[in-house]
Parts: sequence; structure tokens; C-alpha cells
Amino acid sequence: MDLRISDLRVDYGADQPGLAGIDLNIARGEQVAIIGPSGAGKTSLLRCLGTALKPSGGALAIDGAQPWQISRSALRTLRSRIGTVHQAPPLPPRQRVVTATLAGRLGQWPAWKSLLSLLAPQDIVGARAALERVDLQDKLFERCDQLSGGQLQRVGIARVLYQVPALILADEPVSALDPALADHTLAVLCEDARQRGATLIASLHAVELALARFPRIVGVRDGRVAFDKAASAVTEDDLKSLYASERVTPGEPSDTHVMTPRVTATGLPCC
Amino acid sequence: MLLKHDSRDPALAQRLLLSLVALALAWPIGHIAGVNPAALVEPANLRVVGSFVAGFWPLAHDSFFLGLLGDAVVQTLAIATVGTLLALLIAIPLAVGSTAALSITAIGPAPRSLWRPAFRQALRALTLLLRGVPELVWALLFVRVFGLGPSAAVLALALTYGGMLAKVFSEILDSADRRPARAILTAGGSRFDALMYGLLPVAAAELLSYSVYRWECALRAAVVMGLVGAGGLGQLMDQSMKAFNGGEIASILSAFLLLVLFADMLSGVLRHWMASTRAGGLRAAGGWMLTLSAAFACVLAWRHIGLDLGALLGDRAGSDIARFLREFLPPAHDAALLTKIASGAIETLATSLVGTVLAALIAIALALPAAGRAGKIAKSLTRFLLNLLRAVPELVWATITVLAAGLGPFAGALALALHTGGVLGRLYAEALENAPPAAEASLHASGAPRALAFLYGALPEVAPQWLAYTLYRWEINIRMAAVMGFVGAGGLGQLLYYELSLFRLDNACSVIVAMLILALLVDQASAILRRKMG
Repeated sequence: MDLRISDLRVDYGADQPGLAGIDLNIARGEQVAIIGPSGAGKTSLLRCLGTALKPSGGALAIDGAQPWQISRSALRTLRSRIGTVHQAPPLPPRQRVVTATLAGRLGQWPAWKSLLSLLAPQDIVGARAALERVDLQDKLFERCDQLSGGQLQRVGIARVLYQVPALILADEPVSALDPALADHTLAVLCEDARQRGATLIASLHAVELALARFPRIVGVRDGRVAFDKAASAVTEDDLKSLYASERVTPGEPSDTHVMTPRVTATGLPCC
Repeated sequence: MLLKHDSRDPALAQRLLLSLVALALAWPIGHIAGVNPAALVEPANLRVVGSFVAGFWPLAHDSFFLGLLGDAVVQTLAIATVGTLLALLIAIPLAVGSTAALSITAIGPAPRSLWRPAFRQALRALTLLLRGVPELVWALLFVRVFGLGPSAAVLALALTYGGMLAKVFSEILDSADRRPARAILTAGGSRFDALMYGLLPVAAAELLSYSVYRWECALRAAVVMGLVGAGGLGQLMDQSMKAFNGGEIASILSAFLLLVLFADMLSGVLRHWMASTRAGGLRAAGGWMLTLSAAFACVLAWRHIGLDLGALLGDRAGSDIARFLREFLPPAHDAALLTKIASGAIETLATSLVGTVLAALIAIALALPAAGRAGKIAKSLTRFLLNLLRAVPELVWATITVLAAGLGPFAGALALALHTGGVLGRLYAEALENAPPAAEASLHASGAPRALAFLYGALPEVAPQWLAYTLYRWEINIRMAAVMGFVGAGGLGQLLYYELSLFRLDNACSVIVAMLILALLVDQASAILRRKMG
């Protein structure tokens, strides 16, 4: 999928930063990492691209279609081709891993199959294959509340792998994993996207990981694109000014919203 | 070897087995409960219900009837008030006697006493017995002994609510801060001193608040008991029902709903006032005003009922009660009666099961719009409908469903379903609104249709809570199903009604014992189920 974003804005109100006009073009099959300080607007940007958040202004075209102007059924088809990895995986605690993974294809399966799958999982082989790629095949029939935070995050990734989307949006996909596992899991995501020619956009806290795994880096700060370069061209100074803390200056209002945990529109706290 | 099991779900066999067992049980249970949806659309029944409901409008409003209605409302209020007062008289000594908070042996070296703990246990058993028998059963018994009228309702409320209040009171006292009371006891104060100066100041607010809540429940119960002839709105309703006067029924139902609303508001205001921590002269004055007006209301209610406690406890009454007890005890246990009781118990169990399952279905259907998933208008409409379903007690619904489905357990199951559906619908909707929405939202954002996003994302979040609520209501429904027979809706209640109308008191006693045992068994089963699901 290719994405054309121009002057994209999100306005949450005065006390919460949103997006202040993002311009970005991403071609089909590209792999882009979005980096930037907390509260820069990375999650808002990804949620807009995933059609989960309606922008307050600007234009967004996914494969030439404007998600907020097309018909309901066309939107659903579009959404079924977008897979999102969430930082806090939204999995019901009492659901089994196999069901949570298979839920990735609810947008593609006929209704009868999805209904039947609630009682008897319809594609155990497929779910196992997806989980195998994140080393969780032995947890197939466990309940989600039996898993650790890191394992849950990988189940969320397995669900997206199983969905086979044309656009993968990953919001801090490996934040709960140790460095080695994080690198490995990110490699799985990148490899999957590369093989299928899918577009991959990931926001990452770990800058080294972003620079090592992604050819293109977009730095976001205060709801705007600070820089947009090839990974090899990103300089030490770019990063320094991207992460330069506003908190050093006394009396800055940003201090307050860094201290209090913000809550996203989905009700999950995010840091 | 591994490959063979690769595509097999280890839980599948268990799920299949459970579904098969449920299916296999559904048929006989439905059969015993007399499930017959065809009866609901049968032309004859439809005509009866149609003409009955058509008679609702215009509401009866001639001055004679309105006078009767006013009297009935006042009488209902008086029954609830006096009943709660007597219940307090029973509950307070029971609670104080059975609480462990005033135990002297618990605080240090003291001569070990065997009889005091035994005494406490005996009081607890008495409490269990008092609240184990539904107030409606007491009412039915007392109507036989004292005749039609409010006295039976007042005494029934006194016994059952006495038991309930005693249990909750002793729990409140047990969980209150014991240090002040202990300080008094260790300083050599008497138990009475410890109660008055140590325990009550800590627990009084909660005790009062719960009593007010019980008064509100008593008002509802007073209406229902009228259906078996124990005075008040219920008795008037029973008469209008027998006369098949739709207009009067509609007026009575409206009066009842207004009364419930009023009690709800009054109790809410009172409890809110008691919970507020504001201090000062104005509040103290308000407190005295409230106490005085409450006392005044109690005196008025007492005079209105005209209950002659002296006659009740006098010489002649003593022999009356003794005679009554002699006939009542020991319970009969001949084989023919036991067979009837067994089939009645099974019918009651089946009725409660069918009623609860139907209620859950109604609740699911209404909870989704009531949680605001179909827009604001649908939300307020379904909320109103749920409140209406909930406000009308099961037994009042039963008097109507008996018309729609004919006499028998199915009418009882329908009545349970309507009331419980209203209760569960509201609880389900609240659970749904409070559940974390992320799972469902993320599925919806990945293209899942609305219904499937709900089933995969929201349902697993709320299912445990929904199930717990349903099991809890099932425990209540088994008790309700047992008395549903008083208005002709089958089960143990119908048997009890029959035996009592033939004045076979020893048989009636056996039926009541069966009710107690059934309720206890269901409590156990439900506790086990809940632990397993937990």
C-alpha cells in the first residue's frame, strides 16, 4: 500500500499535544521507522493511518482512497488489509491464544466461519504457524491471562502476521521484550513485510534498533516531521535536537503532561 | 505423532461433551417446566390477554375506587413500616447475641465457657431458619391463622426480615472496629457498656442505612404478600384480578410504580444524608426533626394496622399457637406426599432454570442497546423498559403471565424471566460500559464486522461477570419459583397452597422443609460453579 499524507492534523484540545500538520509520502513495500520523544504524536499518527482516529484536518490517502469518504463496506475492506500491532496488546484476558490469533482474519472470513471458530478454532495450523514465527507455538491453547507481558506482545504480532495485511502499523511493537528478543521479533516483522511486498511503519523508542533495521527514518517532534532521511544519513545532531528536552527550560507546560500518564482514546494508559 | 495432533484442539472434546449434556438436559427440563411457546400465540390466550390489556385504558378513576386505592396505599406503607419495626425488635437481640465482637473470651484470659459459643451458634441457626422461609410462605400461613388482612403481612415481614436484618447486623458488628469495645471490656465494663459506648458509635450509621434499605424492600414485599390475602395494594390487586378489571389493575400498577419510585427516592435521600459527614448545628437539628417525624410515622402506622400484640401473646393466643404448632409438627412423611414433594421440587428447579435462561437471553438482547450501542434514543428507551421490567415483582408478573400462558410452571418461568431480565439487563449493560474497550476497538479497526468484533473482543471481557450475576440471580429465582405456585404457576408453591387450603398443616410443614433444603442445595451448587468458573 502507498500512503500520501499532507498537512495531517489532530487536535485533542489545549492540554494534550496532537498532530500539527504532517506531510509524508510512503511508497508500496517501504519500511519506515518513526522515532521521537514521548508525546511527539507517534501514536496519533499511526492511529490516523490505521483509520482508528479521524484527523481534524489535512488529507490522507491510502492506496488512493480517502478512508473517511469511502463507503462503509469499502472502509471495512480497507481496514481488513491494515494490521496494527499495539504497544499494549488489546487481548481479552480469558481468551485463548489460538482464538486471539485467529481474530486477525475476522475481516476476511465469512461470518459463519468466524462464529464457528469461537467454539472450535477453524485454522489451528495457520495460527500455530504464525505463533511459531514469534516462538510461541507451545502457548497455542493457553489463556491470554497465563502469559507474560512480553509474550502477549508477541501474540499481538502473531495476530498481525496471521492477518497478512498489505500495510503493517506497529506502535512500539517490542517495548516489552528484552533487547535480543526485540531485535529478533522486529526482524521477523520486517522480513514478513519484505517477502510479501507489504508496507511497514513502526514507531520505536529504541533508536539503535530503528537505525539498524529500517532503511528510512522519520523523526517526529511536537506533532511535526522534524526530519525524514535514509537511516545512513541520520546524524548524531539530528537525534540530539530531536530528543532535546524541553523540560530543561523552567516553567514549560510540557512538564506537566510528561509527569501524568496520558490515556489514549482506547482507554489504555500510554507512556 | 505430533503432526497428527497438530490440528486438534485439546478443549474440543470437553466442549462437545458439555454442549451435548446441555442439549440432552434441555429437553426434559423444558418439558418439566411446561415450556410451550405455542400457548403464547394461541388465539384463545391472545384474546384473553388482548381484552385484558385493552381494558387497561382508561385507568379506573371513579371516586369510590380511588378511595379504596388510597386506603390500600396507606395500608401498604403501614405494613412495611410496622413490619420493619417488629423485624428490628427481633433482629437486634439476635444480632447482639450472635456477634463475636462482644466476646470476652476472645480478648484474653477468662474462664472458658462452653455454653456461650453454643448459644451464639443456636442464635445463628434460628436466624437462618427465619430468613430461609420466604416471607410469602409465612404470610400464607398467618392468613390461615389470623384471617385475611394486614396482620399476617406484618408478622411475616417481622419474621423473615428479622432473620435477614439479624444476619446483616451481626456481620456489620463483626466487621466493625472492635478496639473501642475491647478497651471497655478490658477496663472491666459490662457487655452492655461495650455495646453502647464502644460498638454502636462505630457501626450505627451502617446499621441505620441498611434498615432504611430494608424498609424499601419491605414495601415491595408488602404489595406481593397482598396477593395471598395479606392486605394492602396486593390484596386490592388480587380482587381486581379476579374481577378481571383491566382499568383497576392498570391504576393499581401505576400506584405501585409511583410508590416504589417514592420509596426509592426517600431511601436514597435518607441514606445519602446519613452518609454525609457534614457536622454542625443545622445537621443536628435536621437529625432531630427526622427522628421525630420517623417516630411519628411509626406511631401512625402502628395505629393504622391496629395490631393487638397483647391478644397475640395473651393466654388464649398462646393456646392457639400451641394448637397450631401441634398440628404443624412433626412434618408428615408418608410416601405419597414425599413423591408429590419430589416432583414439585423438580418442577420448581426446572422453572427456575428455564426462567433464568430466558432472563439471560432477554438481558443480552436489551443490554446491548442499553449500553448505548445503538444510539442515545435506543439507550434511554431500553433503560426505561428495563426499569419497568425490574420494578414489577415476579409474583405480579405471574398474575399476568398466567393469563397469557395458562396455569402451570411455564407461566412461572415467564414471570421470572420478565423480572429477572430487567435486573440482569441493567447489570449486563453496566458491565459492558465498564469493560475495557480496547480489544473490541482494535478488532473493529482491523476490519471485523461490528457483531464479530463484539463476540471476539467485548464478550470475553464481560462474560465472567455476566455469568456471576446470572448464577446469583438463579439462587434468588429458585426461592421465587418455590412460591410462584401461590398464584397458580406450578411447583412446590402450588403444593403448599393446596395443602394449606385443606388445612393439612403437617403436610405443609414438609413442603416448607423441602423448600428450605432446595434453596440450600442450590446455594451450594452455585457456589461450586462460581468457584470453577472463577
